[in-house]
Parts: sequence; structure tokens; C-alpha cells
Amino acid sequence: MIEIKNLKANVNTDEGPKEILKGLSVSIKPGEVHAIMGPNGSGKSTLSYVLAGREDYEVTDGSVTMDGANMLELEPEERAAAGMFLAFQYPVEIPGVNMSMFLKTSINAIRKQRGEPEMDALSLLKLLKTKCKQLGISDEMMKRAVNVGFSGGEKKRNEVLQMALLEPKFCVLDETDSGLDIDALKIVADGVNALRDPNRSFLIITHYQRLLDYIKPDVVHVLADGRIIKTGGPELALELEKHGYGDIIDAVA
Amino acid sequence: MRTDPVPLDGLNLPTPKQEEWKYTNLARALAPELLNQKPLVREEIFIHKSRGQIGGEVEDILCEGAQGQHQQPRLKIVIEDGAEATVIERHTGSGAYWTNMTTEITVGANAKLHHIRIMEDSAQAVHTNMARVTIGRDAVYDCFSLNLGGALTRHQIHAVLQGPNITCSLNGLNLLAGGQHCDTTILMEHEAPHCVSNQFYRSLLDDTARGVFQGKVHVHRPAQKTDAYQLSNAILLSPGAEMDTKPELEIYADDVKCSHGATTGPLDEGPLFYLRSRGLSAAEARMLLIQAFVDEAIEKIPEEAARDEARGKALAWLTTRLK
Repeated sequence: MIEIKNLKANVNTDEGPKEILKGLSVSIKPGEVHAIMGPNGSGKSTLSYVLAGREDYEVTDGSVTMDGANMLELEPEERAAAGMFLAFQYPVEIPGVNMSMFLKTSINAIRKQRGEPEMDALSLLKLLKTKCKQLGISDEMMKRAVNVGFSGGEKKRNEVLQMALLEPKFCVLDETDSGLDIDALKIVADGVNALRDPNRSFLIITHYQRLLDYIKPDVVHVLADGRIIKTGGPELALELEKHGYGDIIDAVA
Repeated sequence: MRTDPVPLDGLNLPTPKQEEWKYTNLARALAPELLNQKPLVREEIFIHKSRGQIGGEVEDILCEGAQGQHQQPRLKIVIEDGAEATVIERHTGSGAYWTNMTTEITVGANAKLHHIRIMEDSAQAVHTNMARVTIGRDAVYDCFSLNLGGALTRHQIHAVLQGPNITCSLNGLNLLAGGQHCDTTILMEHEAPHCVSNQFYRSLLDDTARGVFQGKVHVHRPAQKTDAYQLSNAILLSPGAEMDTKPELEIYADDVKCSHGATTGPLDEGPLFYLRSRGLSAAEARMLLIQAFVDEAIEKIPEEAARDEARGKALAWLTTRLK
């Protein structure tokens, strides 16, 4: 169970701290897929960074718990080991570190934190091969530096690959559909759907309804000005697509 | 840009008033007793490959300095037409000394020289080196400097690309801490068409260490289709560290591709956070990123044994520095 309660957070700007999240609450049961939709500037990316623990953001109030454990007092790497995963909107390029080296280091870093033994090279190789095949990722891509020279689709597929390898309890997908054409979107969505599991929760943060055609949410929230202003079923996403955010924001205001 | 060697008599030393010595104050670094010391002129080290001679052993040269010495070694390398060689130059020593070296290299037509410098002078040493390299048509010259030692080191290279179709690469890795100062000053002269030159230097600077990179590419009028590139990347590991970069292009031909770039700053936050969100501790993430940064420079060493050796030395440096 993921519980975000009355979350308030500032971003540090040159003109001092600015409040972006103004009391956001969402709870996600195991196995559920929630979508958060909102216009630009509503706080979508801030939410994903705050959940993952980026330092430029300051939480001023509220809590985030995963199965009762307070996530906000953990370092980013400890959150990862606890089972939280953020699929980045803009996956970062890491020149000089190749994919297989990166994945191996990541898997073993998490195992180490959990007090598990390192995975041996052969098992790792097998695991990588299986997961790559499922996502249509070539061996050649494994030899390239992380995200360097990757197309938009390759970057997002790489995020889903990491998600599949790390087997988190709670996946946050930040605008995973941005920069993807329909074919790439479908591959990425299939990858995510394959990971749906009664013990895994998803939070899909998106501007457009399109992604939700492929990954069916159980609950849809509308985020505006740092708060959830409306919650409903999948039909809410369709309503938003039809009438835009304006109607709902006006209706609430 | 003038590329005179430091005067051998230790008089009339260059000062920061001269443009090409702007960032390096040699006189201040030299203890008076070293200046008053009568220079010990070493015999010339001479490496010679005759026409067409290939496949010989790696030439491994060791140059050691000792407390109070002012030495002036001369290195002369002549690679005749069609010959190939690999030269590894090592510098070590103990105490305060001044090595003021001149290097003269001639690479003949269609010849190839891999030149690797492993600089591990003592922490109090001053090392100045003026290298003049003349390269003939269709030849390859590459030089890699691993700079780990010395209180002050300056590697000044004047490369002259005299014939067409030459490839000249000057690369280096500077790993500096304490109050170390390392200056790389290059004049790359393209005199003939269809040549390629690369300059690729990476620096890691800790404490109050200071790096200097001045690279100038001079493309003469006949040197059409020149492809010249220079890049200096520096990571500052401490707020007291400093990097001065001055890339310069002087171009008289009208059909060339020349570019330069320089970056200086602390380690990027973006990749650090990305790695931490994948389970690596802050220290593990830093180490991985810095190792990758260093490794991209070391990859430029064309000779495998030397590459492994340099990688080992760099790793040892990183392990003591990044805890």
C-alpha cells in the first residue's frame, strides 16, 4: 500500500523557494494502477522527483509511506532498495558507462543493500538476455553507453527494462509517453502491462490520455495547482481528452 | 604563439607577462638553490628507427630526478620513412629538483610513432618540457601524457604537420591534488592539406590543484581539408581547484573543419541522481562516473600494456582520493 498524504513541497529557484505541491493525497493499493493527469505546471514532474528523492526539492509537510515505512527520510538509493522505481521523463545520458555494466552494478547495489549476495555473472547474463528479448532490445544496445545516442523510444524502453530487472513494488512513470511514436508507445506499454502484478502498484503521470489507451488505469486523478482536484475511474481520462483541463478546473474553482 | 624552450641557463625565465606563460609562474615554483645550481646536462637519449623498420620492442625510457638537481635531459627520436615505434617515457624522482627537458621528434613519411609519457615526478619537483615534433606525409604520431606527479609540470608541444594525410593526436589525463600545477600548451601547425589533428585532455582536480590547457591550431593557407579538433574537460573535485583553458584557432585556409570545446565544473548532478535512483550509493555513483570520465581518456592509449598500466595507476589515484 502506497500512501501519499497532504504532501507539500517547494522547489528551490533563484528567487527563493516556490511551493509547487500544495497538499497532495493519493493512496494506491497493491496491484492497482493509478494515473495522475494534469496540465503543464500543475506539479507532475515535481511529484515524481519528490517521490524519488531528488535534492533540489524540499518537502515541507505531509508524508509518503510504502507499506507503512516512511519514504521521505530515505536516501534515493534506499528508496530504490525498498522497492520504489521512477521511470524518468528524460532518462540521463551517462557517457563511458555501458548498459550491461550499468545494469549489473544497479542490480547488485540493490541486492547489497538488501543483504543479499551478488548475482553471479552467468545468471545476470541469462536474466538480461531474457528481459531484453521480451522488450525487443538488441545485444548491440547493451554495448552502448547508457542512453547516449539512444532514440526517444530506446530511452523509454531502457527505463522499462530497468523496471523489469529491479522488480519494484511501486513504479512511478513520469510522462513515459512523451517523445514516443505510436509503435514505440505500444512496445513500452506492453512492457509495463507485462509487469502488472497483484503485489505491484503503478503511478502513471501523464499529460495526455493516449498512454492510458494502452495501460488501463484503475483510478484517474486530476492534478491542478499542486492538488488533486478530482478523482474518478478510467472514464475521467476520456472526459479530459474531450473537454480539456479547463472545464474541470473551472468546475472545481 | 612562441614556443621557445625554457632557457637552459635558468636565467631570463619566462614570466606570466608573456601570453603563453600567462597561467604558469615558473620562477615562483623554482627554489633559488635550484636556479643557482649548475645544470647537470645529461647525455642525449637517442632513439632511432631506420627506414622501414617495424615490429621492434617497445622503447622504455626512465628519467629520475634527485634532491637539489637541476638536470637537462634531451630526448631525440627519429623514425625514418615507413618505420614504426612505440616509446614509453617515465619520469620519477625524489625531493626537490628541476627537470628542464627538450624533446625533438621526427616522424618520416608513412611512419608511425606511439608516444606515451607517464609523469610521476616527486611532489616537490618542477618539470618543464619543450617538445618539437615534425611529421611527414601519410604519417601517424600520437602522444598520451598521464600526469600524476610534480609540484609544477609544463608540457609544451609544437607539432608541425609538414605533408598531406597526417594524423596527429595529442591526448592526456591529469590527476592532480594538493597544490599541484599542470600546464599543457600546444601549438598544432597544419602546413599541408588533408591532415587530421586531435587534442583530447581530461583533468580531475582536487584540493587547490590547478590545470592549464592552452591549445592552438594554426592552419596555414595551403592546408585545405584540414580536420582539427580540440577538447578539454575538467572536473573540479573541490571548490579550491582551478582550471584555465584557452583554446585558439588561427585559420588561413578556406575549406577546413576545425572545432574546439572546453568544460570545467563539478560532477553533474543529473547522472548522479539517476544512478542513485537505481540503487547506487552516492559514493558508488561518484566513483562510477569519475572512472568512466577517466577511462574515456585512457582508451586513447594505443598500446595495450601501457593502457592497462595507466588504468591501474589512475584507479589507485581514484581510490585514495574518493572515499
